[in-house]
Amino acid sequence: MARILDLAVITGILLGIGSVLISYFGNPVNSGICISCFLENLAGSLQLHDELRMSYIRPELIGFILGAFLVAVKTRRFKVTGGSSPIIRFFLGFFIIVGCAVFIGCPIKMIIRLAAGDLTAVAAVLGMMFGVWLGAKHIKAGVFLDREKNLPKINGYIVPALAILLLVFIIMEPAFIKEGRTGPAALHAPVLLSLALGLIIGGFAQRSGLCITGGFRNFFLFKETTLLSGVIAFFVTALVVSFATRQFNFGLNGQPASHLSHGWTFLAMVLVGLASVIIDGCPFRQIIKAGQGDIDAGITTLGMLAGAALVISWSMRSTSAGPEFAGKIAVLCGLIFCQIVIINYRTAGKRV
Amino acid sequence: MMDRLDKINIVILVGLLLITAGMVTQHEITAKKQDRPESDAGLVLKKQYEKKIAENAETYKEVINLQKLGHYAEALTKLEEIIQSHPEKAQAYIYKAQLLNSQGNLVESIKMYRAAIEMEPDFVDKKSPLFVGNTVLKLIPEARSKLNREKKLKPGDKMITAALDNIYYLQRRIAGGCE
Repeated sequence: MARILDLAVITGILLGIGSVLISYFGNPVNSGICISCFLENLAGSLQLHDELRMSYIRPELIGFILGAFLVAVKTRRFKVTGGSSPIIRFFLGFFIIVGCAVFIGCPIKMIIRLAAGDLTAVAAVLGMMFGVWLGAKHIKAGVFLDREKNLPKINGYIVPALAILLLVFIIMEPAFIKEGRTGPAALHAPVLLSLALGLIIGGFAQRSGLCITGGFRNFFLFKETTLLSGVIAFFVTALVVSFATRQFNFGLNGQPASHLSHGWTFLAMVLVGLASVIIDGCPFRQIIKAGQGDIDAGITTLGMLAGAALVISWSMRSTSAGPEFAGKIAVLCGLIFCQIVIINYRTAGKRV
Repeated sequence: MMDRLDKINIVILVGLLLITAGMVTQHEITAKKQDRPESDAGLVLKKQYEKKIAENAETYKEVINLQKLGHYAEALTKLEEIIQSHPEKAQAYIYKAQLLNSQGNLVESIKMYRAAIEMEPDFVDKKSPLFVGNTVLKLIPEARSKLNREKKLKPGDKMITAALDNIYYLQRRIAGGCE
C-alpha cells in the first residue's frame, strides 16, 4: 500500500510540475495538460471538425498512451480485457467531453485552473465532486456496467498502434493532417519535450492508477485516500509551480478560457463526475487504460474523440461569453443518458 | 504449428506491408514541395495577413485621415457607411472603438472591441499582426474603475452590468487559453 501511495503522490507531483511547466514552454495558459482540449485539437487535425485554430496533434496524448503501454508490457500488467457495455461506454465518453467543453476543461485542467488561482473552477470542483458522490451512491446500490472478459492480445495493441500512427503523422506531415497556425493550435511546447513529458506521466499513471474522479470515488466509497493523495499532491505542486513561474492569477475575472456561468459549470462537471464513475475513470484515466490493454477504455476514448469533434462542429461548448445553447442542451441530454443507464442497470442488478 | 493456410496468410500480409511501405516511400520521394502547399502554411498565412492589412489600409484610408486630423465625428459617420455596406468587416469595429475612445466614450469603445473580437479572434491572438490586446488592456483599468463607481451609485443598472460584462469578457479573451 505504501508503495502505491508513493506512486500516486509521485504521479501527482509529476502532473503538477509537468502541466504548469509545459504551459511555460508553449502550451496554452492554464491548459498545459487537458485531455478534452487535446482531443479537440486531435479531432481538428484529423479533419473531424473544421476549426483550424483548434487543429494540432498533441504529442502528450501519444506519450500518455505509449508510456502506459510500455510500462504495462514491461511490468507484465498488459492485460487485454473488454466487452463491457461498449456502446454505453462510447456515449458516456462522448458526453464526458460535452461536459468538459461546457466547463472548458477536463478534470486535470480543472485542477490546473484552480491551482493557477482561477476561482471559476471552484464551481467545477463542487460539481465534479457531487457527480462522483452521486455515482458512488449508485455503485453502493449495485449499479455496475456489464462484466468485462479476457480478449486475445491483438485487441490491446490497436490503441498503441494508433498512437504510433499519430506519431508518424507528426513526423511525415501528410497533407490530410491539418495544423493551425493561429489560436490555441499555434500554442504548443516543442514536440520532443511534449512527447517525453507524456511518456513519463503515462508510465507513472499506469503504475499508480492515478485518476481525478477515482480519487474522490474511493474516498466516498471506502474512505480510502491513496489516489486522493495523488490528486492533492497534483494540486499542491501545480500551485507551487504556478507561483514560481509567475502564472498564478487569483480571482474570478480575467481568467483564460473561462466564463462566469457557474451554474452550467457545476452541472457540466456533475455530468463529467457521474459518467466517469459509471465507466470507472476520468478522461485521463481512460487514455491510460486504453494504452494498457483495456478495450472498454479504448471504446470510451473513441467516444471522447467523437465528442471532441462534435462539440466544436455543433457548438456544444462554452466560450468566454458563456455556454452556447447547444452546449446546455447537450449537458442535459448527457445527464438524461446517465440516468437512463443507471435506472436500467439498477433494475438489472435487482433481477440478478 | 502453422498449416498451409497460415503460411499463405503470412505471405499475403508481408506482401501487403511491402507494397504499402514501397508506395508511401515512393510518394514521399517524388512528392514535390509545390504539390504540398500545406507545408508552407506559415508563409501562406503571412501573405494572407499582409493582404488583409493592405486591404484595410485602402478601405479605411479616409477614416484614418479624418481620425488623424481629429475630425472624430466625421470619421465615425464615414465608418458607419462602411459598416452598413460591409457588416462582416471586423476591422471597422476596431476603428470605431478607437474613435469612440478618442471622444471619451469608453463604455461604447469597449463594447465595439468586444464586437470586433467576437468576429475576428485574431485580434486577441498574440502571434497575429492584427493583435490589439495591449491597446485594450490599457483601457480596461480606467473603464472598470469608472463602471464600478457607477455601479455603487446605481446597483441595479443593467447597462452598467452589461458594460462590466464586456470588460470581463475582453480580459478573459486576452488572457489566452484554449478557446
